[in-house]
Amino acid sequence: MPEWPKIRPSGDCAVLVEFENRIDPQINRSVRSLALAIEIERIPGIQEVLPAYRALMITYVPFEIEYQLLLEKIEFCMERARTIDPPPGRFFRLPTVYGSAHGPDLQRVSEIVHLSPEGVIRIFSETRFMVYFIGFICGLAYLGGLPEILRVPRLATPRTLVPGGSVGLAGGQANAIATDQPSGFNYIGRTFVSLYNPHVLPPVPFAAGDEIQFVPVSEEEALRARGQRAEDFL
Amino acid sequence: MKAFEVVHPGVHSTVHDLGRPGFMKYGIPVSGVADQFSSRAGNLLVGNTPGAAILEIALFRLELLALNELVIAVTGGNLSPTVNGNPLPMWQAFSLKKGDRVAFRTRKQGLRAYLAVQGGFSSQKFLGSRSVFVRGLMGNVLKAGEVLETESSVIKSSPLKKLPRELIPNFPAKNSLRVILGPQEDRFSQKGIETFLSSEYRVSPQADRMGYRLHGPTIEHLRGADIISEPIARGAIQVPGDGLPILLLWDAPVSGGYTKIANVISADLDWVAQVMPGDSLRFKAVTIQEAHQALQEERARFEQAQRVIEEQG
Repeated sequence: MPEWPKIRPSGDCAVLVEFENRIDPQINRSVRSLALAIEIERIPGIQEVLPAYRALMITYVPFEIEYQLLLEKIEFCMERARTIDPPPGRFFRLPTVYGSAHGPDLQRVSEIVHLSPEGVIRIFSETRFMVYFIGFICGLAYLGGLPEILRVPRLATPRTLVPGGSVGLAGGQANAIATDQPSGFNYIGRTFVSLYNPHVLPPVPFAAGDEIQFVPVSEEEALRARGQRAEDFL
Repeated sequence: MKAFEVVHPGVHSTVHDLGRPGFMKYGIPVSGVADQFSSRAGNLLVGNTPGAAILEIALFRLELLALNELVIAVTGGNLSPTVNGNPLPMWQAFSLKKGDRVAFRTRKQGLRAYLAVQGGFSSQKFLGSRSVFVRGLMGNVLKAGEVLETESSVIKSSPLKKLPRELIPNFPAKNSLRVILGPQEDRFSQKGIETFLSSEYRVSPQADRMGYRLHGPTIEHLRGADIISEPIARGAIQVPGDGLPILLLWDAPVSGGYTKIANVISADLDWVAQVMPGDSLRFKAVTIQEAHQALQEERARFEQAQRVIEEQG
């Protein structure tokens, strides 16, 4: 038996299917293939399928599916998933204003990585980040692809409130927070494009596998995108 | 139909139904009523479907003015409900006249009371649910002067129903919560697991619908507290680097990067809803089969209540 994937219970209404323990686009593709395989199978009793970096959570209703049967169905889907390719993602190019009040940590990040602020902006904004999954609270996109040179630690004391649309980095990861939240990331810019709307379906524009580039623009141009849908920047 | 005007909003009062499953993949927690038995029974008592929108009242000082003739039922934790200053009987339907004042004065037992109104509250739906989730920009806590409306204006003239005493849950101040170990139990030392399962933990003041921080003996990790971020199930017990457990609940983040030692079983979550900061908790490990059995028993308990209420007409 190969070591991965592994199924573990996560309470009495969810199981976690774990793949190899690292952040890697190929491993994440396996996670998404399995998510698709389970969704296609439409197994009665399964409620939600939540892909993440290297694990997939499946929530179920115990009255509707017997636990042993659930495990068998998931194992069947694991086989199926080998031949399922996740669909190609979309590519968003979001107008982003860097530095000043919109990116309060730009100066500090540039000092830590020994680059000019312009150098940080150039490297960050040329990166095509991949969306690994959506989670945390309300549409937070977990992004991969941050160049190693921009590896900086989290803030020692997290901010109690960071405005939605802030674009930041920490610990080798990047993110764009969708709504005002506390966060320990270093924020270097902000996009005013709408990243979350609880009045529409889907409430979040991105999906795992999409790519995002944070294109540097003037403050004026960034503000013109206020409230526009991310789909307008494909 | 206008039902109530909020005279005093209380500490934390929010409208909920059974929540919005299906949106966790967008980072949106399920939310919904915390104490399912109490809220569902309350709805049945006033002739609603069990999942109608209801008012969840955490702690006291809420005061409401009836703007019409209403049928209500108050269930859940005992926050000393009164009508025009006189005790309002709980766990039974009650008729209000226009101008009546309903107030919740002091906490006697539990933490969350439910106020069901015939017709159900008709606040705005977000993604198919009326459950308030402030951080997700989906509704807000009650505010003074706000008017609460109900869905239907027809007062059904059925007899006022009552839940018999033997079916009313009681919320003991001290109990042990059943848990299923994992998913990261292998990231804790044997000693850490023993500490967790043998110690008493006190609910800290940092306790809300997102989660409860617990105080007590620190739990020893094996290889640090961080994991690659992954989805979190309701009832998960996360242990960050400081070794102190955090119980993640109805409005918790859907993903996170700390090790989880165990998960409270679903059948015990209603009881968690009635736990107060300062209360003590213990944890007892059970199997998945035992957890599912307990959930069946919970369901049977609710179905019995449903039968008894429906037999009253």
